[in-house]
Amino acid sequence: MAAFGSFSLLIALALAAYNLLAGGLALTLLATGRPARISPERLAESARRAGIAGFAAVTASAAALLWAVFANDFSIAYILEHSNRALPGAYKFAALWSGQEGSLLLWAWLLGIYGLILRLRRKSDARLYAYAGTILAGVQAFFLAVLNFAAPPFALVSGAIPDDGNGLNPLLQYPEMVIHPPLLYLGYVGFSIPFAFALGALMMRDPGERWIKITRSWTLVTWLFLTAGIFLGMHWAYAVLGWGGYWSWDPVENSSVMPWLTGTAFLHSVTMQERRGMMKSWNVWLIFSTFLLTLLGTLLTRGGLVSSVHAFAASPLGTWFTVFMGIVLAVCIFTYIYQRGQLKSEHHLESMASRESSFLFSNWVLMTACFVILWGTLFPVISEYTEGAKITVGPRFYNSVEVPIGLFLLFLAGVGPLLPWRAHSLGAVRKNFILPAVAMVVAAIVSIALGANPWKSDGFDSGSFYALVAFALAAALLTGIAGEFWRGARVLARKERSNLFTGLWLLTRRNTRRYGGYIVHIGVALAIVGLAGAAFNRSEERELALHDRIAIGPYTLVCDGFTEDSNLNYNSEYAVLNVYRNGKPLLQMTPEKRFYLASGQPQTMVAIHSTLEWDLYAVYEGANPDTGRPIIKVFLNPLVGWIWFGMAVMALGALIALVPNQSQIASVVTAASEEELNHESSDQGGLR
Amino acid sequence: MTNTVGLIAGLMLLFALVLYTFWPGKEANDLREKTRLDYLLERKEQLGENLRDLEFEFRAGKYPEADFAAQRGRLEREMTELAVEIERLRQA
Repeated sequence: MAAFGSFSLLIALALAAYNLLAGGLALTLLATGRPARISPERLAESARRAGIAGFAAVTASAAALLWAVFANDFSIAYILEHSNRALPGAYKFAALWSGQEGSLLLWAWLLGIYGLILRLRRKSDARLYAYAGTILAGVQAFFLAVLNFAAPPFALVSGAIPDDGNGLNPLLQYPEMVIHPPLLYLGYVGFSIPFAFALGALMMRDPGERWIKITRSWTLVTWLFLTAGIFLGMHWAYAVLGWGGYWSWDPVENSSVMPWLTGTAFLHSVTMQERRGMMKSWNVWLIFSTFLLTLLGTLLTRGGLVSSVHAFAASPLGTWFTVFMGIVLAVCIFTYIYQRGQLKSEHHLESMASRESSFLFSNWVLMTACFVILWGTLFPVISEYTEGAKITVGPRFYNSVEVPIGLFLLFLAGVGPLLPWRAHSLGAVRKNFILPAVAMVVAAIVSIALGANPWKSDGFDSGSFYALVAFALAAALLTGIAGEFWRGARVLARKERSNLFTGLWLLTRRNTRRYGGYIVHIGVALAIVGLAGAAFNRSEERELALHDRIAIGPYTLVCDGFTEDSNLNYNSEYAVLNVYRNGKPLLQMTPEKRFYLASGQPQTMVAIHSTLEWDLYAVYEGANPDTGRPIIKVFLNPLVGWIWFGMAVMALGALIALVPNQSQIASVVTAASEEELNHESSDQGGLR
Repeated sequence: MTNTVGLIAGLMLLFALVLYTFWPGKEANDLREKTRLDYLLERKEQLGENLRDLEFEFRAGKYPEADFAAQRGRLEREMTELAVEIERLRQA
């Protein structure tokens, strides 16, 4: 299998190189009109096919690695390091991304899938697709070169082959870890596609208008994956790491959120380009930056540039990624300078009280948030050069800057949808702000009454203050968006002579992008409410004898036992805790600590009882060596469930935004335009 | 799978993929540059969308009458200019 896997990788590299060279040559011949022995179309077609064939070769290689994992082929060093015989089947899949070489192979394979879809969807805008396919082949060739020459996944063990492997990292032996990394990778890798389209469009002399729609759709797909991946990662950290939180501003977490921020900024500013022909250069650079940030994130993870619980040890891959980033940046700068003439804005900002200005502000704020995270993440590297010592910035730095930024973004996300395009006066929309403002005040009063009062007897609590602002702004946003749905649905219901619910359905179906986007904003507000709940977290820690109890909030946990268990994969210790709410029996929790036999590493398995109000979160911290009694830490974390629910709503909104508008719309567009041109007074609604 | 079998399987894969890549097909893509007409048609489609959105937002109460009329007039003028040029290019 090792020979087949390695050979397949080599074939994949050769095909990617051919795709890049033949595609590049064909496009150059077409652009210059120079005569050639072979027709450029024929050459481009063979390049496209090489890209498709390359996917088959990488798939064969990935399949070979998986085969080796399931066959317990410990002659392959990667399998020896990341698997063992007793590892359950689902986690054998996880072995594919548990180490450097395997996760790079997963990266190359996912890139291959994206490339396959791109190369098969070329019926319209064939030239743009040819450019994008060729640029993507360059990215693929880089990753395949790394896999072939710097991080080969099929390297063989030297000397005698051990009978069993060292096992999978215990942190990865959790159900979510079977889906979180692939989703995150789909998001990360996916940004290569918008990058390829943006760079390709810039290289073309006259790309037209459609490339921006194609790029936007691909960005939304990859944004959806990245969002789901980030939130699943948060949930995994919450359920496995046992510290009661879900986000620690770890460099690798930061690396995932930076391209998410620039990608989010692009999804907003691209609308300005479509609607007003504005911000063309900005959009191109947002996409370039997003791709470069995914490479930087990978450099941080693979190169050992900064310390992280996720990062692999320092490796020569850092140099590979640094060089590649340099090449990509140089190509971007050169192409931009050479072709910037086609990026002139068609309009300028006409009013501060308009949808355009809210998009512009949100872009600036998102970029500020990204820059702060980038600065904090790279600060250890910068300080090492300037001060001679690595100085790490902690959560206090990030929270002090990012929380106010996040709240300002929430404000903009609430205000933006209420504003019209190009408006010169706020007169017509003033009334749309009344209900959200009332909701904001009511939410603030209710929150203070329920305990979110920052003005306490012992002083001002900034955490409670930010939470209060978050609750108030979220209420305003939700009311504002509900109003947008209501106003739109009412127009359509009146026009179609149907009820409001049908109007609501038609509204969403006929402008999926806008109303899907609004649903994403609802999800963001819900998630921020959940994040704000962290200001009111409580915890208790105690050593428990049999029938001892811990009280927290309305819950009482009584220790009913302390026991051990074992299987082929791990031994475990756990406490049996009976939970009572207001004196009534509710459920039993069994927080656990596992000791994995193959790796010899321990792992915490947290017990969580989640409600909409709060999470009861119990951690078994181990037995006191002197008394043999379990030490239990219990957290009461308000509103955490809202974060995961908010994520689900965001995903739903993004999925809706990806659905094409009802076909009727498309067919009506031309007719409507003609109608307008003939100056017929039309009494029909805009969204028919 | 021994190394020899692995290499034979790899060579077969290589043969199949090279064959696929260079197999003469009929589907040569239309890789011509976009014409001015293509560009104008795409632009027209976008303007149509903008016009529909504007009208819908007006009906949803986001624009005063005067703002709406001015913006609609501007979009219609642009649309007319496009339609004239499209017609001219089609006839040429």
